[in-house]
Amino acid sequence: MHLITSPLTSSREKILAAVRANQPAELPLPTVPLFAGDDSAEKFTAILQGIGGQVVEVMDAARLAEVIHGLYPTDYRIASPLLPEAVVPVDAQTSIEVLAGVELAVLQGEFGVAENGAIWVPEANTLHRALPVVTRHLALVLERRNIVATMHQAYARLSSVGSYGTFLAGPSKTADIEQSLVIGAHGARSMTVLLV
Amino acid sequence: MSHSQRSDIFLLDAERTTWHDETLWFVRQKRDKAVYATPEFQELRQLASDIKDHTLSRLDFYLQQFEENAHRNGVQVHWAADAEEHNQIVLGLLQQHGATRVVKSKSMLTEECHLNPYLIKHGVEVIDTDLGERIIQLREEAPSHVVLPAIHLKKEDVGDTFHLHLGTTKGNNDPQQLTETARQHLREKFLAGQVAISGVNFAVAETGSVVVCTNEGNADLGVNLAKVHIACMGLEKLIPRLSDLSVFTRILTRSATGQPVTTYTSHFTKPVKGKEMHIVIVDNGRAQQLGRPDFRASLKCIRCGACMNTCPVYRRSGGHSYDFTIPGPIGAILSPNIDMRKHASLPFASTLCGSCTDVCPVKIDIHTQLYKWRQVLGQAGEIPTSKKWSMRLLSRVLAKPGVYSLGGRVARQGLRLLPHGLTHAGGYNPWAIARELPEPPKQSFREWYAQQEAKV
Repeated sequence: MHLITSPLTSSREKILAAVRANQPAELPLPTVPLFAGDDSAEKFTAILQGIGGQVVEVMDAARLAEVIHGLYPTDYRIASPLLPEAVVPVDAQTSIEVLAGVELAVLQGEFGVAENGAIWVPEANTLHRALPVVTRHLALVLERRNIVATMHQAYARLSSVGSYGTFLAGPSKTADIEQSLVIGAHGARSMTVLLV
Repeated sequence: MSHSQRSDIFLLDAERTTWHDETLWFVRQKRDKAVYATPEFQELRQLASDIKDHTLSRLDFYLQQFEENAHRNGVQVHWAADAEEHNQIVLGLLQQHGATRVVKSKSMLTEECHLNPYLIKHGVEVIDTDLGERIIQLREEAPSHVVLPAIHLKKEDVGDTFHLHLGTTKGNNDPQQLTETARQHLREKFLAGQVAISGVNFAVAETGSVVVCTNEGNADLGVNLAKVHIACMGLEKLIPRLSDLSVFTRILTRSATGQPVTTYTSHFTKPVKGKEMHIVIVDNGRAQQLGRPDFRASLKCIRCGACMNTCPVYRRSGGHSYDFTIPGPIGAILSPNIDMRKHASLPFASTLCGSCTDVCPVKIDIHTQLYKWRQVLGQAGEIPTSKKWSMRLLSRVLAKPGVYSLGGRVARQGLRLLPHGLTHAGGYNPWAIARELPEPPKQSFREWYAQQEAKV
């Protein structure tokens, strides 16, 4: 009788057996403290501006549309679940051609991290997973009370990372040519946080 | 060719060498600034090191936990014992989908497996989308650094390459304009990509997620537009818990470039309905390295490149002088595990100054391992004949005080009397190629000491 195993299964078994044979005796897993720190909007703003992001204070959340129109050309093709006048309807099934034409995406950020200027954007806030990177410009709305100090406190807030989610910190950038910083590599050319 | 022979080629252009040296040192200084501004950084290093040590000690458990959770998320997991099997799995997935256009974000693993030439041979157009990677792909070169793949090039080189391949004006060497050209060129590829391949920075066992960190956004753009995502990872990328990411995301970029975090830190857990996600877990010598107690800690590496930026040898010899996917100090302790004979000169490409160990965010004892590899290589007879015999001769001389003191007298006289061209002949005294031997003293310390005793 032949015992037939697929090559994939056998590699799995081979690898796991080798790992089991070669790994050392168990070492302890440390507890990670919830390191605290400055969680002010000032710190968050300073760090984010330092990495190329912009921060705009919105005094009245009801006037979000007005602020957007003040910051960007009025004829921009906008995708957003937050603005009734957004002209590009986007959902998970939206075609690549339509996505590629979006000039501004205005999305809700869940919370910010003061130590590094990052904002948690889960899939549910993106309309389409590619929207925050494919759009020409990105604006994230963030409530100033939703700023934590460190990444430890950030992950402590997340009971789950969902299907997809990203910490987004500033505009897309690169320094691959002679270490010269260039903003707008592949993703959004600018990233603005609207602090409400 | 040995490391020093390949370094000679890099060193022919003194101006470029100086630029390379100073630029990487500048990156090291940016790292220092970011690290000193993080009060608990040393605690974070210890935590990172302990988490990785623990994970490696229960790696079989975490691999299976990760696989189980990924399956539950609707992700297909594949296992590859070596580079060849990894490439076959990836090609198989592409063929299954009839895909001929692939966009790839940064992955040192796929470099290690030589995936690109393999796919191209089988009729697949594979486009590296990280700007640095794309530049070197167009030039048909290997990356010379894990984080800064094109750091060996000047903007004039990139200008020439883009003129040749992307039709930019000859002599246009402006980084801003060249990056814009690459953006337009790669945008087309992103929009047309059928399958996206990405590397993996961290794989979280308790959730089955893979985390990918980029500044350009190329991984997110590629993966989120394509129908199929294939994430390729070495089996050492695992971490147990989601909360462990808080430690690693804080140390990775601060150590790498001095940034507080990458622009995109993306968590891929489940595919979108109607799309597919695959993870290929690769061994390719890693389980073997796990079984070498002296060198096991090299598997803790998170590929930040800090050891390269700080290394006085790397900065002055360039990444290509290592002739291994991962260059620099960490590459010099990983490579002999893969092919001891081929990479025998790498553990000697170090002054053992320990700077790599000092900056390593996961506390790998890199310079100690370099020293230990030298012992292993010596015992295996994998050191050059000249070194072998000179060491043998020296150990005899040092073992016999009489012979040593006679040798000293002969050398002092010889240096004084023999012509410079003979004492400094590069053929048998390579040490003197770029250095002057010291002025010989009239007497040795022992002779002087004996005289003092006689005086009393």
